[in-house]
Amino acid sequence: MSGKFKSWFLQRFPIDTQKTSTVMEKIFIKEPIPKHMKYWYYALGATPLILFLIMVFTGILLTFYYIPSPAKAYESVVYITEEVSMGFWIRGIHRWGSNLMVIAMFLHMGRVFFTRGYRKPREINWVLGVLMLLVTLTLCFTGYSMIYNQLSYWATTVGTNMIKEIPLIGAPILYLLRGGEDVTANTLTRFFNLHIGFLPTILFILIIVHIIFVRMHGVAKLEDKEDEETYSFYPEHFYHTLIIGLFLLAVLSALTVIMPPGLGEQANPNVTPPHIKPEWYFFAVFSVLKFVPLKLGIYFFTALIIVLTFWPFFDDFIRRKWQVRRIHYWVGSLTIILFLFLTVFEIIVQ
Amino acid sequence: MAENNSLRTQKLLVGIFSILLVIILIIVAFVEMKVTRDAKPVIEISGVNKNCVTCHTQKGIAVKAIDHWKQSLHAQQNISCVDCHTAKEGDFDAFYCPESDFLVARHPTPKDCAECHEQQVQEFSASKHAHQFWLIKNTDRSVFEIPIATKNGCEQCHHIGNLWPDQSVGECDACHPKHTFSKAVARQPETCGECHVGSDHPHIEIYLESKHGNIFRAQEKKLDLNYATKNNTPIPIDIPVCTTCHMDGNETQPMTHNVSERLAWESQSAWSFRTVWLEEKIGDWKMKRSRMEAICKSCHSPEFAEMYLLTADFTNLQYNEIRRMFVRWTKKLTENGTIKRLEKDGKFYSDPVLTGWDEVPEIAMYHAWHHEGRRFRHGAMMMGADYTQWHGIWDIQKGMVEMLTWAAEKGDSEAKRWVESTDPIKFAPYALFDIPGNPWGINVLSNTLPYVYNAYPDYWDLIYANVKTVYDHNLLSEKQWQMWEKKYKDKEHYLGYKYNADSVFKYYQDLDSKDTKAFTEQAVELKLPSKPFWIW
Repeated sequence: MSGKFKSWFLQRFPIDTQKTSTVMEKIFIKEPIPKHMKYWYYALGATPLILFLIMVFTGILLTFYYIPSPAKAYESVVYITEEVSMGFWIRGIHRWGSNLMVIAMFLHMGRVFFTRGYRKPREINWVLGVLMLLVTLTLCFTGYSMIYNQLSYWATTVGTNMIKEIPLIGAPILYLLRGGEDVTANTLTRFFNLHIGFLPTILFILIIVHIIFVRMHGVAKLEDKEDEETYSFYPEHFYHTLIIGLFLLAVLSALTVIMPPGLGEQANPNVTPPHIKPEWYFFAVFSVLKFVPLKLGIYFFTALIIVLTFWPFFDDFIRRKWQVRRIHYWVGSLTIILFLFLTVFEIIVQ
Repeated sequence: MAENNSLRTQKLLVGIFSILLVIILIIVAFVEMKVTRDAKPVIEISGVNKNCVTCHTQKGIAVKAIDHWKQSLHAQQNISCVDCHTAKEGDFDAFYCPESDFLVARHPTPKDCAECHEQQVQEFSASKHAHQFWLIKNTDRSVFEIPIATKNGCEQCHHIGNLWPDQSVGECDACHPKHTFSKAVARQPETCGECHVGSDHPHIEIYLESKHGNIFRAQEKKLDLNYATKNNTPIPIDIPVCTTCHMDGNETQPMTHNVSERLAWESQSAWSFRTVWLEEKIGDWKMKRSRMEAICKSCHSPEFAEMYLLTADFTNLQYNEIRRMFVRWTKKLTENGTIKRLEKDGKFYSDPVLTGWDEVPEIAMYHAWHHEGRRFRHGAMMMGADYTQWHGIWDIQKGMVEMLTWAAEKGDSEAKRWVESTDPIKFAPYALFDIPGNPWGINVLSNTLPYVYNAYPDYWDLIYANVKTVYDHNLLSEKQWQMWEKKYKDKEHYLGYKYNADSVFKYYQDLDSKDTKAFTEQAVELKLPSKPFWIW
């Protein structure tokens, strides 16, 4: 910055540069990063963030052409895919990005879970993390309904139907979400609003708070190794993150080119397809719901979400009460194996 | 040591599960993404149908029919064997499956299809496809044509209008082949061309010769003909196939299975006449023409479409005048005994105004209708120039010369006078129709060529009177008459007379004289040393 411009700038924006750089240095450049973060699978916290930014960017581009009305939605997605310059690529990145974002969150949560990164005093950040997962999955669900093809329309219908099972408030919430009894034009505009406005804003706020918490507490060191050596955030970890970001973009682009998302058949509310199924990240839930009564299944998963959200407190309680130290290894491993098994099982059954 | 173990376990768990999650979930996402692309439907075979499929597959009977069915929309919607092959005791086509006690229908008819496709079946049965072809003078034709030829000939194509014992009419799978019942195959021009082909009505050939067919061939691989044009949706392909104009819908027209809804001429019949087919249901010829024009105008300017069809209308009207001449002669020659009708037990098997197989004028008259007469008209309606010209009018005129030469040889004085005449106008022994200009543009000098334009100063007045007469007889609409009159009044423009392009024309004349010089030198004046092997 030239001296003249700097003084002009500082007159208009009286920032205490000395103080700012000290703070910046403390919370950004010199932020101590524990040595175990040099393993890639310990350093995946930034991936959902990078993917979120990619999703926001590609999502904004998609709204240039997307029309949230039943008559035009499918056509506009076809137009984006087939006519708009690079449209298939932007749409592909957005679709694959949503898939990878869910995977990235699972990886990040897995790492935090096994290393008990959520342990005192970082429990609230875990709760925020679970909330972010739920918001992300809702974003995926609303996003999937945007395409308005047969599969997505009926997945939306069946998916939202489940809300009805919630006692007392289920029916009014369902009515509010759908804008009526059925999935109609009202539902699409509501979901569009949720997908591009409300939910990303909530997610963005949660991300900021989550990062502030990480910075305030510092990155959790490995358990039993509180004296672990650290290194500065900048330059190594910063470039590390940048490389992961670029790698993700390359992977996304490659996946989009090798397997661009298709269009399916335009939604027809009068013809129920023989097989209705959700996106793959709901397969495990879907699989269980097929085998148990719907109400029971919904209560079970509601309980599961509550346990997951407040796991740091449950974990602490169990450890204190029964003196077991490795319970999270078993719970984590079993959950992941069961999740993978049910997901793959659903694919094979199909 | 305990600490190290704990760290190692952690690292192992995080590492292994990270890799597992990444690999498995990306594969899962990949498979699912592929599903969004294939959208391959899952076929469920349930109930009795399972027995049919299993048994047929095991015994190897019509296995491909099952494979075809699996590709159908029926299969996706769980409409299986017994839904169409359903039968009641006493049905004309009911039989017991030899391997079970199921009563099965051998011939699902339009009545069965109408269980779900009622509108389509109704539309079809109101179309000329459902017309009972054997009604028209076929006892006469059966004299010339032996039964086995009729079986594999006439009956095969005209089965499309089969009148079934259950009183339903038609054969849906004539176009929607068993058992895919594909819309795409029904739209493929070759499907229509299975019957609309050959010397009597070469529609597929005319189509493929036209610009429509040519562009279709060029774009064929990119086209997906498996679409629905319901509810006033735009035509989803950029080039018309047969069904686009005759059946499919556009923004203004509903899709129809009645191929007669848009036809303003009966131009396959011995005389061209404006259609009256079910006009109380589907409107008069003007209504039918307006439907066709509405489709044309999806791609063409209104002026072009209307002018093109009006010009083709005159070809139909002209055909009638030519036919009038043929019939005059066959009638005259029959009445004076030169042509002898086929007769047995007081019943005639040839007809001077329609059929006859063993005398030159009869054959010429029949062909001038049933073969070249149709080519002449249909070529004009569907942009098959070659079929109007060389396979059309030239063959008709050749038949006329043969007929009159034959009559002269048999001693008919009128025919003799025609044969001996050297007046160039002798080839137009009938009234004429014409229109100044053409739909494609203004051709500056070509209209200086036609003999009648030069030899008859009152030519256009004569034509005017003819056109006015057919308009007065409701064979042209008010709009068409106005269009013709406009062209007539400004014929100097439409015929290109008022424009001068002599210098450009001269350039091509010079090039042409070079060609003449070249073939004169290279061929005409070439003398070889050897004498002919046959000496005249």
